[in-house]
Amino acid sequence: MKIWHLTSANIRSGKSATFSLFILIVIAGLLLNLGLAVMTKMGSFFDEKSEQLSESHIVVLTKQSNYKPDYREYFANRPEVAATEEEAIILMNAVKFLYGENDINMAAAFLNADADRSFGQVRLIEELEGPAQDGDIYVPLSFQASAGYKLGDSFDMTYQNETFSYRIKGFFETTMMGTPNMGIMKYFLPDASYRHLVEKVGDTAAGTLISAGLHDSKQSSEVRQDFGKQFPDKNMDVNNPLFWEGDIELVKSVGSITINVVAMILVAFAAVIVLVSLMVIQFRVTNSIDDGIVNIGVLKALGYTSRQIIVATILQFLLIAAAAGIVGAALSYGVLPVFGSIVTTLSGLIWTTGFDAGVNGVSVLLITLMVLAVTLLASVRIRSLQPVTALRGGIRTHSFRRNRFPLDRAAGSLHWLLACKAMIMNKKQNIMVACVIAAITFASIFSVVLYYNVASDKTAFVHLVGAETSNVIVNAAPETDSGKLLADMEGMDGVRKAAFLDMTSMKLDGQSVFTTISDDFSKLENQSVYEGRYPKYDNEIAVTWVVAKLLGKEVGDTVVAEAGEASYTYLITGLSQSISNLGQAAYITVPGAQQVMPGYTGTSINVYLDGVDNGSFMEQIKAQYGSEVGDIVDMNEMIDGQTSIYISAVFAVMVIVLLITILVVSLILYLVIKKMILKRKKELGILKATGYTTFQLMTQIALSFVPVVIAGVFIGGVLGTLYTNTVLTLLLSGAGINKVDFIVHVPLIAALCAGLIGFAYGISMLVSRGIKRITAYGLIAE
Amino acid sequence: MTTTELLRTEKLCKTFSSGGVQQHVLKNLDITLVQGDFTVIMGSSGSGKSTLLYAISGMDKPTLGEIYFSGQKISKLNNDQLAVFRRRNCGFVFQQVHLLDHMSILDNVLASGLLLSRDRRALAAKAKKLFTQVGLNEAAWGKFPSQLSGGEAQRAGIVRALINDPHLIFADEPTGALNSAASDSVLNVLTDVNRNGQSIVMVTHDLKTALRGNRVLYLRDGVICGDLKLEPYRPEQQHARHEKLTAFLAEMGW
Repeated sequence: MKIWHLTSANIRSGKSATFSLFILIVIAGLLLNLGLAVMTKMGSFFDEKSEQLSESHIVVLTKQSNYKPDYREYFANRPEVAATEEEAIILMNAVKFLYGENDINMAAAFLNADADRSFGQVRLIEELEGPAQDGDIYVPLSFQASAGYKLGDSFDMTYQNETFSYRIKGFFETTMMGTPNMGIMKYFLPDASYRHLVEKVGDTAAGTLISAGLHDSKQSSEVRQDFGKQFPDKNMDVNNPLFWEGDIELVKSVGSITINVVAMILVAFAAVIVLVSLMVIQFRVTNSIDDGIVNIGVLKALGYTSRQIIVATILQFLLIAAAAGIVGAALSYGVLPVFGSIVTTLSGLIWTTGFDAGVNGVSVLLITLMVLAVTLLASVRIRSLQPVTALRGGIRTHSFRRNRFPLDRAAGSLHWLLACKAMIMNKKQNIMVACVIAAITFASIFSVVLYYNVASDKTAFVHLVGAETSNVIVNAAPETDSGKLLADMEGMDGVRKAAFLDMTSMKLDGQSVFTTISDDFSKLENQSVYEGRYPKYDNEIAVTWVVAKLLGKEVGDTVVAEAGEASYTYLITGLSQSISNLGQAAYITVPGAQQVMPGYTGTSINVYLDGVDNGSFMEQIKAQYGSEVGDIVDMNEMIDGQTSIYISAVFAVMVIVLLITILVVSLILYLVIKKMILKRKKELGILKATGYTTFQLMTQIALSFVPVVIAGVFIGGVLGTLYTNTVLTLLLSGAGINKVDFIVHVPLIAALCAGLIGFAYGISMLVSRGIKRITAYGLIAE
Repeated sequence: MTTTELLRTEKLCKTFSSGGVQQHVLKNLDITLVQGDFTVIMGSSGSGKSTLLYAISGMDKPTLGEIYFSGQKISKLNNDQLAVFRRRNCGFVFQQVHLLDHMSILDNVLASGLLLSRDRRALAAKAKKLFTQVGLNEAAWGKFPSQLSGGEAQRAGIVRALINDPHLIFADEPTGALNSAASDSVLNVLTDVNRNGQSIVMVTHDLKTALRGNRVLYLRDGVICGDLKLEPYRPEQQHARHEKLTAFLAEMGW
């Protein structure tokens, strides 16, 4: 009872200190709970969504002309497959439409919304009222979340030079083909619209959708890959974009890479903030004991034991920690929708988080235990404190060995020198402040670098995803001499260079791997080989490190590649990285590909322009080569379209990180400056008495933090500049990345650091403004 | 001998409020201080001595009334204007010395002096000269306040008060925390600087300390009820001064 009285008296006596500590723990609790909630749900998110939406685990789309009844039969005969379904669809290879601020061009599958189906029924999130009309369309949710479309908006798409206009009737959720990064998008048309489109596009766009549901979704990739082996001929046709297959595991890996990165950044940032909070809590607890040292002396003199006083102190902070932890956990449910909206932007799926007592309990317990440990460490010195020492305000441990910054000799203005003296007085506290600021500067730089590379200079990000940053891709028509076409294009005005870059599927030592084929890898902008080199000769191959690890190979080893019936042995010349296809990829030259695919010639010509705009060049190619060329793709448009979904998500992350940075800088400076004013009240009074104005004293206080803030920002800035790519590599290593080379734009980082220093100075001035109200007499008379 | 008015108060009042209770500490005080005087303010505890000292020195603001310093009205100045006023006109000597304990005593003095002078070398030389005058040798200049005796620290405090050549030194019980020998040395310093023309106002409740003044104001319940004029201090006349002051204080009911 006595202890409880002491505890409640302690809390009552320091209401404002209790409040600031409470706020800090609330932030820590909020972020910890957020991080834990995201981490625990992330792994099962796609599986749960797939189940909730009754979607199939494997999807195969084929042009009707390529369709074989064996396809469905194959799935139906597999023991892993629970059910199959087949339906007629409209399948277009290249549809151009506005997505966000850019036109993008990609394949499209149109399904009849009113047809019966057991897999992937239309699950509308939002719909215009009233019956569906001819000209209505249902589009994936990503159109709303990422591209900014609203219900009732007009949606125009161009297919084979004809434009089709629709009214958006609703947005639906889907795990398959719901975002542009899948390479194909799915739409539902009401019966009337569907029939109308069938009439217009005729048999050329007729297609079939085969769906398969598995007993265990985890087997979907394996079953689909076996399907590929069973029907290898379709995959060999690199010129046929009208065949698409996907499985839920692939969708998960493609869709969750960025979400995982965002989640990991948030979790890592939450960890940094929790760490920062603990440092500040430790500072607060120590100060609280310092402030109450005379009271401790009185209590000891009255007969309270050290144990009773320590227990009361611990109880005081435990109560605050537990209460603030609960409030933080509760408030995290208000922030989770922000994360949910980021997930929706990236995946086109709605992220909902229900109340999770387990996660909440763990985060409150963790916070409380951490505060307990910190309080215990800080309050242990009460034990050795003699009552008389405590009554005299404790032992003052000044080091008088050297008078730093002597005013008669040291360089600098009077206020600067006095600020430096004040700074030296609080070494321990300043080291803590510098560490905190270094940590949050690092986090801010990390988020800004991420945003810069996704939104501004996208090259490194696009290369990371595995795409090539050419300007235009020209696909040679099947009968065209593609080698001659390539040579012709290289000689065209405004063409800097041109190179073949095709994708096919091969088996390496029995393992199915996406393989990139080029006539000359040195021409490519995306040089993803980080060890060894790209293949140059027909018996050489480069593989990703994931493949090398999977096969137990390294540079200098050989590997057997199979395509159909043919096989050939290649020497591994280099290791590369790719985020696509679970990091499984290989690279061979055109002559190398001819070893297993006799007669193969390159098809997709990547053209790099210089001084010519993409549109004019594409027009020129169409006019000059006519039927010799097939599809021509504007890569800049494609890249802009495909990266647009990431921009808003990474922007949201950057804003959250910067906001928390501002909050933490403000909070920590508020705490230390308030404490400093309280501690130096008499000294400030003496200075005021001798003629210092409030503004001069405020400047001194603010200046005394400038070197500390600069040191923290500098350390964080240097670490951020040097190690952002390393941390990103660590975060992405699970996704097949071994080395990230994001552009670290130094002027931007310098501006951010300067902004942080300026902000910290402003906040310091603002907080120290509190001394304005205190008169010199009031300060001395305290 | 002509006298020049240095400080004048008109109807000076100071009231403190605490918990809704008003306490009138100074009541309609009209005081005039003259240049070159060593004025001593005496009175029993709670009579308002220190409140008066801090009000007329611009450390605190009066509740009512006016204060004129060398003809300039200072009672309406804001806090920052008062700070500038203090640095130009006032020197302070406190009972608890109030040197900044993380600085050497030389830096303590320079921290005041550099507010008005930018010539560090000249200022440091002046500070050292003053230190020597008050009996603090070179070995003490680089020491921290806690490394000095009480008397040494107070003499350093006096140097700080003198560094800007103030028009008036305000001393609040400067010997209150010192032993007898230290008190004498501090009082000798103050007497010496007064002899050189420095005006001083000092609050004390110590008879021996009060003997150093040439004017004694007696404060009772916030009102000046006695004003004794004395000849400037000379040690050989101490006995006669003592009797005169004792009689005055007896009359005041001290």
